Amino acid sequence: MARLRLMITRGKEVRYVSHLDFAGTIERAIRRAKLPAAYSEGFNPHMKLAFASALAVGVTSDAEYLDIELTEELDLASVETRLKPQLPEGIGLKAAKYMGKRSQALMAVVNLATYEITVPLATGAVWETAAASINKFNSETKVIYIKESPKGRREIDIKEYFAAPVAIRPVTDKQAAIIIGLSIKITPEGSVKPAEVLTALAVNFGLPIDKDNALINRTGLYVTDGRVCRSPIEL
Amino acid sequence: MRSLDPVSPAILSRVMKPARYTGHEWNSVVKNSSAVTVNFALAMPDVYEVGMSNLGLKILYQILNDRPDTFAERVYAPWVDMEAEMRNAGILLYTLETKRPVAECDIIGFSLQYELSYSNVLNMLDLAGIPVLAAKRGEEHPLVVCGGPCAFNAEPMADFVDFFILGEAEEVISEVAAAIADWKQAGKPGGKPAVLKQLAKLQGIYVPGFYEVEYHDDGQAAGIRPLMPEAKPVISKRVIKDLDAVTFATKPIVPFIEIVHDRIMLELFRGCTRGCRFCQAGILYRPVRERKMETLINYVQELVDNTGYNEISLVSLSSADYSCLSPLIKQLIARFKQQGVSVSLPSLRIDSFSIDLAKQVQQVRKSGLTFAPEAGTQRLRDVINKGVTEDDLTEAVSAAFKSGWSTIKLYFMIGLPTETDEDVAGIAVLAQRVSDLYKQITGRKGAKITVSVSSFVPKPHTAFQWFGQNSIEEIERKQKLLRSLIKDRSISLSWHDARTSFLEGVFARGDRRLGKVLLRAWQNGAKFDGWSEHFNYDVWMDAFAAEGLDPAVYASRNRELSEFLPWEHLSAGVDKSFLAREWQAAQNAAFTPDCRREQCGVCGVCQGLDVKIIDRGQA
Repeated sequence: MARLRLMITRGKEVRYVSHLDFAGTIERAIRRAKLPAAYSEGFNPHMKLAFASALAVGVTSDAEYLDIELTEELDLASVETRLKPQLPEGIGLKAAKYMGKRSQALMAVVNLATYEITVPLATGAVWETAAASINKFNSETKVIYIKESPKGRREIDIKEYFAAPVAIRPVTDKQAAIIIGLSIKITPEGSVKPAEVLTALAVNFGLPIDKDNALINRTGLYVTDGRVCRSPIEL
Repeated sequence: MRSLDPVSPAILSRVMKPARYTGHEWNSVVKNSSAVTVNFALAMPDVYEVGMSNLGLKILYQILNDRPDTFAERVYAPWVDMEAEMRNAGILLYTLETKRPVAECDIIGFSLQYELSYSNVLNMLDLAGIPVLAAKRGEEHPLVVCGGPCAFNAEPMADFVDFFILGEAEEVISEVAAAIADWKQAGKPGGKPAVLKQLAKLQGIYVPGFYEVEYHDDGQAAGIRPLMPEAKPVISKRVIKDLDAVTFATKPIVPFIEIVHDRIMLELFRGCTRGCRFCQAGILYRPVRERKMETLINYVQELVDNTGYNEISLVSLSSADYSCLSPLIKQLIARFKQQGVSVSLPSLRIDSFSIDLAKQVQQVRKSGLTFAPEAGTQRLRDVINKGVTEDDLTEAVSAAFKSGWSTIKLYFMIGLPTETDEDVAGIAVLAQRVSDLYKQITGRKGAKITVSVSSFVPKPHTAFQWFGQNSIEEIERKQKLLRSLIKDRSISLSWHDARTSFLEGVFARGDRRLGKVLLRAWQNGAKFDGWSEHFNYDVWMDAFAAEGLDPAVYASRNRELSEFLPWEHLSAGVDKSFLAREWQAAQNAAFTPDCRREQCGVCGVCQGLDVKIIDRGQA
């Protein structure tokens, strides 16, 4: 048995695929690639796949990680040559590495996610107003957001999840669109979604954006102790 | 080639299951549309999950895209939320492969599986910016073709469709593509009428515009007359003589989202010769033609390699009738188990042989077993020529309970010809017997028996095509009666809406006049009629009233054997005289044996279409 860690991308072609369906898609690609995947026992055997963190529908990613159990340690070059041609458009294999048997589960170690959100400014809005809203958000110590979930309404302080201030830059010319950079902690108690941050920025801080047309991209997932920041594949 | 998506993220993030509309699935084919001669849009007038599960369309997609001169793309009915967004934003119905307007294709082909999807055909054409009436379409619009089982009574759709394909389209689709390619390359001489004349010369092609319907004084259809020499008086279905020799869908598209049949679909054979008198498919797909076991195993290898699916479903009208089923299942399990691939059997005949098979196929264990006695009493099962007895059922269910199953689904119909209240009560009796058997065999309670009761709809080209369908009131009375008779808490009962079955019956045996009703009902909002949350009975009844037609005349009236039937010019190869004999035999509850292993019933299909039954077990 060997634990293989993969770094993959999720492009615009597959951004609307749910996390569960995305996992199924990867599973079928692995089967087509004939990687020596290990299966669970029982009536309905399933491939042993574990993702670092679920990605919301509509969000693209430059850096998704997953672990897969193999029955034998196939060399990494073969993994790449077999798997790459079997991945659908929009899913790219970036890196692969074998992890030690005692390495911790991906989901348990990843504790930071970074995002870039490209969003059009609202009609008539100017860059200066946008920059001012972001500055105001950054200067607050507490921002209460009401999270609605099937479990009910819950008040959270979204600032608690910020590992760095929100960054903002114009796309090209200052009138059209902005790019917002987020650095968000993933804690055992939960996290905050980039779409929720965007809502808070628009509603509570007057960020003048066409929120519905935002394109959210996860730029990285990290393991950090507060000082050093490494990707799960660098562990 | 366009690469720009016509749909904005704002729209896609607002609709349910947006991955229905974004394409890029594994094995989807993208060609440069300007580098081919014929651009085809393959359509199903239903949602993505239903359309993507249709085996026929998968096969046609592969055959058409294997042709270097043709590009076939897909399109399905957007769900109502997406349709509203599209209409609001002025987005035309687009193909999933290149996201270009469907109207830019040369031809759009719909698979008609079910009468209640007709309104969706109109809706999709309209959403594509294509006039729904064939007569209103110009040379700039695509040709509209329909195929599938409903094409065997094309008349209610005749106003909207340029031509129909009868029978197995993989036999003729290349000839259709070639005819259109030749016509286009020659600069479209003579326009659409010329290419339609060319197509009408092919066996299996029906161009409704080349025929005129004659009516009696009372408005009933009296006959149909060809208007030109190219239009044959009778159009015979296309049929494949040797299924091993044609393309199968070995490289099907693997969707990102879960579809209805999200697994390898392995078609063992076409046709069924058991001769159930209610069954239209049993007539339309005659005769039985089996594939060789080696062919099937090679297909599965290709399918596993090409898709990455880990489940094989055996799909045929009655998979347990495949002559080499037991060795096939053993080989499939032996060969593919290592790769985590399992086999499932969806439809089981009622006997203990089936249980032995089900035991081999452990996948079935968790989902339960399904049996279809169809009728509650032996008399009525004889009327419909079901050919199974209560002993068969008892034996099969006992074997299942002994082998550890506890969930059994039983399918029945109500409203069958000659049915009495005693027959309806028989359904409850039979279900109770199954429940009691579980207690006898296992010594405990806890069986889960689901009784699913559909309302019988007489279909054209069957022995019951002359039968007057039970009225809505009568079906509802029988449903109520049955409900009152089921007391055991281990039995749960479900039934179909009698009103949808009524409408299905009207269109199944309708004539060309129904085009006006369909058009009006669609204009007044009818769509997704097969989906209970969208079915609006009043819209349909208003449309009938406005057009001065009585739906009951189509559905509820017993038809005379001498009467002209609106589908008489469309032939499935089975003689009308055979159906009449079967209709008579039904009245006498007389059994007609399986023509494959016993006596030929002289239905006419083998002789008339020069095609033989292929039974690999006999070879």
